[in-house]
Amino acid sequence: MDIKKNLIKITDWLWEIPKSFRKDLRVPARIFTTEKMLEATLNDKSLEQLINVATLPGIQQEALVMPDVHEGYGFPIGGVAAFALENGIISPGGIGYDINCGVRLLRSNLTLGEIKPHLADLTQAINQAVPSGVGRGGKLKLNDQELDLVLEKGAVHLVAKGYGEPADLEHLESGGCLPDAKAELVSQHAKDRGRDQLGTLGAGNHFIEISRVAEIFDEKEAQRLNLFPEQIVILIHTGSRGLGHQIATDYIRLMLKVLPKYKISLPDRELVCAPFNSSEGQQYFSAMAAGANFAWANRQLITAAIRQAWQKSLGLAAGPLEIVYDVAHNIAKIEEHFLNGQKKKLIVHRKGATRSFPNQPVIIPGSMGTASYVLVGQEKALKESFGSTCHGAGRALSRHQAQKTVRGAEIKQKLNKQGIIIEAGSLSGLAEEAPQAYKNIDEVVEVVHQAGLAKKVAMLKPLAVIKG
Amino acid sequence: MKYKILDHPADLRLLVQGKTYQELFTAGLKGMTEILAPHLETPVKKSQRTITLKSPDITALLIDFLNEVLFLAQTYKEVYQEVNFQKLTENSLIAKVWGRSIKEFKGDIKAITYHEAQIKKNLQGNWETVLVLDI
Repeated sequence: MDIKKNLIKITDWLWEIPKSFRKDLRVPARIFTTEKMLEATLNDKSLEQLINVATLPGIQQEALVMPDVHEGYGFPIGGVAAFALENGIISPGGIGYDINCGVRLLRSNLTLGEIKPHLADLTQAINQAVPSGVGRGGKLKLNDQELDLVLEKGAVHLVAKGYGEPADLEHLESGGCLPDAKAELVSQHAKDRGRDQLGTLGAGNHFIEISRVAEIFDEKEAQRLNLFPEQIVILIHTGSRGLGHQIATDYIRLMLKVLPKYKISLPDRELVCAPFNSSEGQQYFSAMAAGANFAWANRQLITAAIRQAWQKSLGLAAGPLEIVYDVAHNIAKIEEHFLNGQKKKLIVHRKGATRSFPNQPVIIPGSMGTASYVLVGQEKALKESFGSTCHGAGRALSRHQAQKTVRGAEIKQKLNKQGIIIEAGSLSGLAEEAPQAYKNIDEVVEVVHQAGLAKKVAMLKPLAVIKG
Repeated sequence: MKYKILDHPADLRLLVQGKTYQELFTAGLKGMTEILAPHLETPVKKSQRTITLKSPDITALLIDFLNEVLFLAQTYKEVYQEVNFQKLTENSLIAKVWGRSIKEFKGDIKAITYHEAQIKKNLQGNWETVLVLDI
């Protein structure tokens, strides 16, 4: 059936594929986007994948995608799906392999004018302090006991060990620790694969960016978050590294084996799932929570390394680097939402989508060299998107297409001309992440702002980018 | 036996083909090694690892095998260029992989997914499937 012909426009920012589109749909599918962006989305399989999500047992209200949607495997990237605890499922593919991939924003008290002479030194110091690239190990080698503490306590354990201040934890989603985590449900494989990766950035689209606050949209909210014009801020984008990838691999494999037992029929094996209340569902939930905690600990250790580099490069005048907020964009969490006037506990999956609860800061990184945004969650998000919003720009070109279109050296030169410093481990990796490989972040953010899911507070522009 | 790296909007597709399951699985291993560490010199047999697996069907077995190779590669910082199957059935295998340790990987793979994968005979009568890799 033709998806395009069946799309119903609800508002200028919201479209629906009705439940009647296919017999196996349990709920409608909704897309937050514009008419223009929708055209591009119809060129890949993301809406087909969204429709498949709407067939899963126990799904509530609608299967949703955000304006940064693009084709994934199983679930589309940019997706939100909430399932009832009593008869719904949990699916590792609805969270992704990089469990708790997320973004943390640090703010300084300094302006661009004050750090400009030191910017190159600072970039180099951070690049040296935070290992990046594929398979690069970190400085902290964890034994089994320490690793288990990281898995069960997340950033809380790192702060207790002196890698941060207790106040840091108040500015992390879930306080940087999901209490349901159980280290014994994380396989030895996953522990071995991630053991030396705490405090490392990784490769791909992960990065550290030194930026300036280029524009304030909402004075009051900016003040509340201690953000001001020309202020220097630092963005960290990374996740749970090999440990999280292995947890997803292990449980996808396990769930495929037990699928016949639960009589769940799937249009795509990568949607594999188990009833949330089943033993496999509960085991995965606790292992996933442990992976999420590893990611929060990872961003905490990276923060500690950046703070050291910051002090070393800027000396006494450096001042503190405080956390604005830290959000997860690949995760599943138990949350209470109102459905038909009734409060109900749900297992909310966000894969390439960010939690956007009222007054909560939302950090949306743009593609390399373009703007990033600070937003604040809105009441309407609770009604329309299970308290969720977009997570980034979203890919428009494949990595190969990007490599064919532009060369890494050219991008580096172009960004340097704009005054942006680039420290990148690989030039081909740089080409894959070229700004033209992504959708326009300004358009994506405008959709969630206009749709009332999150409101714009500030725009950040990059000064230096560090990537693997 | 051959492999081809294809495009995917966000990730990578790997087309693998072989006259036999052994050839098909070997193509998968070599394709993955090419992504992790392109243009390696002549194969060397310095590191050896054994893999034993059971899976629901042949397609899942191929994916589980490659994910196991990926785990070994990233954990031991090695890449594998040769494989010998002591046993390879529709749903189980015992394999020895050989390769070398490397200082750094050129490419990252998070996992080999089950999305779009289905081993079947192509028009030439060879086994074939496309694999989507999360990178």
